[in-house]
Amino acid sequence: MAIIFLRSAIIYIALLFIMRLMGKRQIGEMQPFEFTVTLLIAELACIPMSDFSIPLLYGISAIVAVFVLHQFMALLDKSNKVFKFLFSGKPSVVINKNGVDFSELKKNNLDVSDLIESMRILGYFSLDAVSYAIYEANGTLSALENENIETSSDLPLLIVKGGKTDKKNLEKIGYTEDKLNKFLLKQGIKKIKNVGVFTVDGGGRFYLQQFNKKYQTGNLKINKENI
Amino acid sequence: MIKALISAILSLLVVVGASLFEQNYLKNSFGEFERAVSVTYEKTQNHTAVKEDVLSVQDLWVEKKKTLHIFIPHNDIKEVDLWVSEAVTLVENEKWEDALSKLEVVLEMVEQIPKTYSLRIENIL
Repeated sequence: MAIIFLRSAIIYIALLFIMRLMGKRQIGEMQPFEFTVTLLIAELACIPMSDFSIPLLYGISAIVAVFVLHQFMALLDKSNKVFKFLFSGKPSVVINKNGVDFSELKKNNLDVSDLIESMRILGYFSLDAVSYAIYEANGTLSALENENIETSSDLPLLIVKGGKTDKKNLEKIGYTEDKLNKFLLKQGIKKIKNVGVFTVDGGGRFYLQQFNKKYQTGNLKINKENI
Repeated sequence: MIKALISAILSLLVVVGASLFEQNYLKNSFGEFERAVSVTYEKTQNHTAVKEDVLSVQDLWVEKKKTLHIFIPHNDIKEVDLWVSEAVTLVENEKWEDALSKLEVVLEMVEQIPKTYSLRIENIL
């Protein structure tokens, strides 16, 4: 019983550690230590139920171990900021007044398309539709609307993400790579690999941001037929 | 917060208490059974064992295993069941060498099983 308890405790801690390392992408509306419990409990309850060569006591002691650890983790999480950071992580500001913070995204194992997806769930379809966006410790995105931007009825297409061009989307706006390079050069960007994100919506409104630089917006002439 | 702390500490104490009881119970049960098997083993070595000697060992095991099922995997218990049963027939037929080898296996298992479930670092990792 003590062995099962200790083994469960080790697995719990290892799982929690891994969940924290994986970043916010793997968690959905739960703190990492809550998510760890969810992952463990189902299996722990299932195995002794179905395999009757294992005493039921093994399952029960493992579940009690998870319960005890969860209670202690929850208490430490509430009582001390350091523990809260260790167990749950901290919120990440992924969009600020300069645009997308690529280093924060990277820290959380996310990329721009994950951010755009999370924003769409919140009802924001353009990266400049929000002044600030924060990935909470539980993996959900909170956003502060940018009141200076009028909402557009056109869906932005992701043309460049992390220095790589999406050729299909580029074709849709009627651009070639040469044409795109010329446009970027006009904006003061020599190489496409320096572009963190570049989106264009059906109205030709673009959002362009280099890594570690402030974003820029504007309009460009595009082929609107395919969008 | 205090409720959560109390429930966690109480659960922990229950586990610690139950674990101590389990360790002690396994040690005593297997110790008693090992002594009974050893006596029969010696008698078998001297060719003085009779069927009733092994049957009494078997009865003791049947009695012990009722509670042991709570603490150790049933497959381990089944293994001991089989080896003891074989020893009964072999002693009855006075096949001493074969009976000795079966009883030796029983002794080894009785020695090893409690070790497998004792609180040791190699069992935890």
